[in-house]
Amino acid sequence: MRANLVSIKAIEPTPSEDDALPQLHADQRIANASGDGSSGRGRLVLKNVSKNFPGSTVHALRDVDLVCDPGEFVVVVGPSGCGKSTLLNMAAGMIKPDNGTVSLDNQPIRAPGPERAMVFQDHGLFPWLTAAQNIEFGLKMAGVPRSDRAARVDAALKLVHLAPKRDLLIHELSGGMRQRVAIARALVMEPAVLLMDEPFAALDAQTRTLLHEQLQELWVRTRKTILFVTHSVGEAVRLADRIIVLHAHPGRIRREIKVDLAHPRNFDSADITQLVRTVRKEIEDEVNRVNAEMAETYWKPQAPGDLGADPGVMGDGI
Amino acid sequence: MLILALWETAYRVIGWKPWLFPAPSHVLDALLGLMNIHTGFGEPISAHWPRVILEPGQHVRLLSPWWGSPLMKAILVSGVRLLEGFAISVALGAILGLLMWRFIELDRFLGPLLLGLQTLPSVCWVPLAILTLGINEWGILFVLIMGSFSAIALVLRDGLRNIPPLYPRAGMMMGARGWRLYYYVLLPASLPALASSLRTGFSFAWRSLMGAELIFVVDKWRGLGFLLEAGREFSDVAQVVAVMIVMVVIGMLADRWLFAIVQRRVQTRFGLAT
Ligand SMILES: Nc1ncnc2c1ncn2[C@@H]1O[C@H](COP(=O)(O)OP(=O)(O)O)[C@@H](O)[C@H]1O
Ligand SMILES: [Mg+2]
Repeated sequence: MRANLVSIKAIEPTPSEDDALPQLHADQRIANASGDGSSGRGRLVLKNVSKNFPGSTVHALRDVDLVCDPGEFVVVVGPSGCGKSTLLNMAAGMIKPDNGTVSLDNQPIRAPGPERAMVFQDHGLFPWLTAAQNIEFGLKMAGVPRSDRAARVDAALKLVHLAPKRDLLIHELSGGMRQRVAIARALVMEPAVLLMDEPFAALDAQTRTLLHEQLQELWVRTRKTILFVTHSVGEAVRLADRIIVLHAHPGRIRREIKVDLAHPRNFDSADITQLVRTVRKEIEDEVNRVNAEMAETYWKPQAPGDLGADPGVMGDGI
Repeated sequence: MLILALWETAYRVIGWKPWLFPAPSHVLDALLGLMNIHTGFGEPISAHWPRVILEPGQHVRLLSPWWGSPLMKAILVSGVRLLEGFAISVALGAILGLLMWRFIELDRFLGPLLLGLQTLPSVCWVPLAILTLGINEWGILFVLIMGSFSAIALVLRDGLRNIPPLYPRAGMMMGARGWRLYYYVLLPASLPALASSLRTGFSFAWRSLMGAELIFVVDKWRGLGFLLEAGREFSDVAQVVAVMIVMVVIGMLADRWLFAIVQRRVQTRFGLAT
């Protein structure tokens, strides 16, 4: 069937070329599975955005161009502190860029809103509400009548396999269940894009693997545009259509890697394991280089000699 | 219990003078006496102990029921005052706490001021209240409010500051803005802060009220503080101790059985209880 499943490209950080590139990918994409007319919805465009937090000498992000096509699963990978959350918060409308524009389906983004649903690392669920009430919250704010809300909340709970836990309070749920409620809470609003900020970083490996499978299954079913941020290479390979490697200080797009593997990805197959290894190697080299550069600039005054030997810095965030 | 027993025994053996320092039995007599139940626990042990032999004319008082007794009336009067004053105090404290949390500039100015007010013993407001409002209900309420609203405002402000910023962000992400953000997100998120500010505020309010009643004598309405002061006037040490016990017990019951339980419930709901 699909022949060479992975294509890796290095991207020159020249903003002018970036515009054409995602278009190309969009053509190659599997046609939107659900022909429900929402296929054109969910094109997220960050154009030439920069952000410098007050009091900081380096830009958190500089000249970043990123286009997420409708239904695309984009994962941004980079070491801690490289501006991943900043990028996502801009897409969410929580932070305004100093320069550049952020838009969704040609509408400029000015404030947070339900069409750009976010899943936070620390879930951000409301402890005074039950799981079902948390999911219902966005519908209530949108003025959906009570009778319609119940059905949609039930459907969302089923989608994340949490129907039996609907009346539990948040602190009565496990970490994995909390993230699933957070995902359901985002999906129930039928957003155009799903923004996910290291949503599984705080979970144990087994739970994370399970949630990866469920998220892929969900994405195949709903075909939402997903912009997912992580520091874990494995997670990126597992989930992404396209991986964006972010460079730190200042945060810039360093490299773009297309992963043309079918979803949901079965990691038992030897073929795929091999491909994953290849991609993983590519990204790890990249991330290591970023880390080494960061370490170099950071450590230079004190110890110019043995930089690469510091395992704490080298392996960080992988 | 053991201490009380020893105290009582010592009293009976040595023969202290009850009008200088009462034994537990005298306090018990005074307490029941305030409830129109006349007993003689403090009398020497005799055949009819602890009943009292009535002198002519006393039986009339004995007939009036316990709920019409001076103690019950005083508790009722103090209770009503407390509810009135505390309600105003909570409203004032909540508004100030909210404004101070919302506007840093206001907090810079008001924060230290309220902290100063909080350290001022509430009886210090009495002279001012007497001069400006006169010796009446308003004077007492004024002292109560001044003694408690600053604590409520400060505790609420600190609690609001501790709301994780993730909650309002999540709320906005789901389309809550304006008053909805306040009502559906920030208000429930501030419940733990609100509960602890009520609890702190109550103990301040109760203390202030007792202090104020001690000094203000509003003739028609005699609160617990008045009973305490009356005990002093008649050199009735047993009554003084009895009224103090009532004050402590009421304060404790309200704190343990009302505010602590409310607070505990909120914390359990939030998963904060240990
Ligand atoms: N509100 C802020 N104020 C100042 N600096 C910030 C703020 N938020 C993030 N930063 C800085 O911007 C950089 C990127 O942060 P962030 O986007 O959170 O990184 P990541 O999510 O990749 O770990 C970091 O160096 C961080 O210290
Ligand atoms: Mg982050």
